[in-house]
Amino acid sequence: MTLFAEVNVEALVMATIILAITLGITYWASKRATSAVGFYAAGRQITGRQNGLAISGDYLSAASFLGIAGLIFLYGFDGFLYSIGFLVAFLTVMFLLAERMRNAGKYTIADVLSFRLNETPARAAAALGTFAVVTFYLIAQMVGAGVLIEKLVGINFTFAVILTGVFMLCYVIFGGMVATTWVQIVKAVLLMAGIFTMSVFVLAKVGFNPIELFNRAEANTTAESTFSLAPGTYLPEPLDTVSLGLALVLGTAGLPHILMRFFTVPSAKAARSSVVWAMFIIGFFYLLTTFIGFGARAFLGQGGVEAAGTGGNLAAPNLAAFLGGGEGTFGGDLFLAAIAGVAFATILAVVAGLVLSASAAFSHDIWSSIVRKHRDSEHEEVLVARIAAFAIGFIAITIAVIGGSGLNVSFMVGLAFAVAASANFPALLLALTWRRFNTAGAITGVLFGVVSSIFLVIVSPKVWPGADSVTGSPIGWDLSNPGIVSIPLGFLGCWLGTMLSREQPAERTFDELFVRSETGLGAERALEKVS
Amino acid sequence: MVDWQGIERSAEFRELVRRRRRFVVPATIFFLAYYMGFILLAGYAPDFMGESVYEGLTVGYCLALTQFVMVFVLGIWYLRKADREFDPLADAAVEAAADSDEKARFTRSTPREEEVTR
Repeated sequence: MTLFAEVNVEALVMATIILAITLGITYWASKRATSAVGFYAAGRQITGRQNGLAISGDYLSAASFLGIAGLIFLYGFDGFLYSIGFLVAFLTVMFLLAERMRNAGKYTIADVLSFRLNETPARAAAALGTFAVVTFYLIAQMVGAGVLIEKLVGINFTFAVILTGVFMLCYVIFGGMVATTWVQIVKAVLLMAGIFTMSVFVLAKVGFNPIELFNRAEANTTAESTFSLAPGTYLPEPLDTVSLGLALVLGTAGLPHILMRFFTVPSAKAARSSVVWAMFIIGFFYLLTTFIGFGARAFLGQGGVEAAGTGGNLAAPNLAAFLGGGEGTFGGDLFLAAIAGVAFATILAVVAGLVLSASAAFSHDIWSSIVRKHRDSEHEEVLVARIAAFAIGFIAITIAVIGGSGLNVSFMVGLAFAVAASANFPALLLALTWRRFNTAGAITGVLFGVVSSIFLVIVSPKVWPGADSVTGSPIGWDLSNPGIVSIPLGFLGCWLGTMLSREQPAERTFDELFVRSETGLGAERALEKVS
Repeated sequence: MVDWQGIERSAEFRELVRRRRRFVVPATIFFLAYYMGFILLAGYAPDFMGESVYEGLTVGYCLALTQFVMVFVLGIWYLRKADREFDPLADAAVEAAADSDEKARFTRSTPREEEVTR
C-alpha cells in the first residue's frame, strides 16, 4: 500500500492552500464558539446574504458538482432532472418552513417539533429522523470523498477518507457553527468561481452559442452511448422518475443540516432573504452544470467515458484538464488542480454541516433534554456536543474505510432525501400548522417515514441482488426511489397516530406556537455584535 | 405571561394569517403542480421532451429553463410581499397585543392600590 500513488503536485498544493485557509478560519472562530448559541448557531449573527452563501455551500455537495455534471455527460437530459428538483425544493423550504423554524426554534429541528408536544418522545423522534438522514448522507459523502481525492490528488483512499474526516472534525469541534458557516461561505465562492470559469471556457469554444454546444454534444452520440437530449436514459421507469421528483422537491425541507442554518440568522426576515440568495446562487450553479455536462460530451465524447469513471464523476475534472490545454500541459494540470481543490473544499463544507447537525441533535436533544432533563450546564452541553461530533465522525470514517472505495453509495443520497421527505418534513409541517397534531402522531409519522423508506430501498433492485439478477427485488418491488410510497405513508402515520390517541393538553399550546411562528414574538435573539 | 390565545384570536393576527395564506397556499399549489407536471412529462412523454425547438435545443430543456424562471420570480415576489405586507401586519398584531396587555395590567392593579390606600 503506497500512501502517494501518483501524486498530482499542483492538486496537492491547491488542497493544502484550502486546508490552510479553513484552519485559519477555525482558529478565528474557536473563540466565538464557546457558548451554546455560538457553537450551534454562530451567535445568530450571520446576515441573510452570508447565510444564503452558506446554505449553498452546505447544500451543493460533490454529488451536485461532479455527480450531476457526470450524469449529464453520460445520460444527457436525465442528469438535469436532479438539478431542477434540488432547486425547486427551495420554494418548499421558503413557503412552508424557513421563517417558522427561525421564529419557533432554538438550535435543532426537535425544538420546533417538541414545542407543544410531550418533550421526551417528540425530541427522540426528531433525533431519530436527524440521525437517519445524516448517517446515509455522511457515509455517501465520505466514500465519495475518498474516491475523488484518490483520483484527483493521487493519495490513497484510506488516507484520503481519514484526512477529510480529521479536518471536518477540526472545524466542528473547535469552531462549531461559526467555523462551519465560514468554511461553507468560502467553499460556495470557490465553487461558483470554478464553475463560472469552466463555463466561460466551454462556451468560448462554441462561440458563446449554447445551442451549438447541444448540437455538438448530440453529434458525439454513438451506438453504444447512453447519452440523449431526451429524458428516459438514466431513469427509464416513468414512475421512478415521478417518485424521485417528489422526494427531491420535499426532501430538502427535511434536511436537518439545511434547516439548522436558519437558526444562525438574527430574524425571520433574514431567514427569508437567505433562502432567496440561496435560490439564485444554487439556480445559477445548476444552469452552469449543464454547460459542464454537455461540454464534456461535446469535447471529450464517447472516448472520455471510461476515463470519467463510475457515474461519470471525473467528467468535470477531465474537461477542466482538456480546457486548460490537455493533460500533461501546464495549463491543463493547473486547471485540473484548481477544480480538484474546489471539489475538495466542496466535500469538506458539506460533511462539516452534517456532523454539526447530528452532534447538536445528540447533545441538545438526547443528552441535555432527555437524559439530563435540562439540569446540565451550558458548558456541559457544548462539551457533549464536541464529544458527540468526534464519535459521529469517527464512526463515519470507520465505516467508509472498512466499506472501502467499492461500497455502493449511489443509493444513499437518494435514501437520505427520501427519509427527510417522508419522516422529518411531514412531522415538522403538521406540528406547525395542524392544531390537532399530537405526540403520538409525530412518533408514528417519523417511524412510518423512516422504516418505509429504508425498507423500500433495501428491497429495491439496485440494492437487492436477486437470484435471477434481472428482477432483483424479493417482493417484486421495482422502484429505486421510495418517495411516492413512503412520503404518503409518513403523512398517513402522522394522521393515524393523532386520530387514534388521546393526549393531555401540553403546557405550551398550539396558540403559542402558531403566534410565535407567524409573528416572531418571543423568538430567540441574536448575540450582541462583538467586533 | 403573554396571552397567546388572545393574540391568536385578535383581528390583527387573523388578518396576517389570512393574507399570508392567500398568497402562500395558491403559490405552493402552483409550483408543486408546475414542477410535477414537468416531471410527469419527463417520465411519460420522453419523445415530446426530446423534440427539437431549434436544432439541439429541446422542448425539455426549454421547459426546464421555465422552472428556473418560476423559482426566481416566486422567490422575489414572496420576498417583496413579505417585507411590505406581512411584516407590518405581524408587527401590528404584536403591538395590539402589547397595548391590550398594558391595559389589562392597569385594570388588574387598580383593586390592589385600593387595598393599599385602605
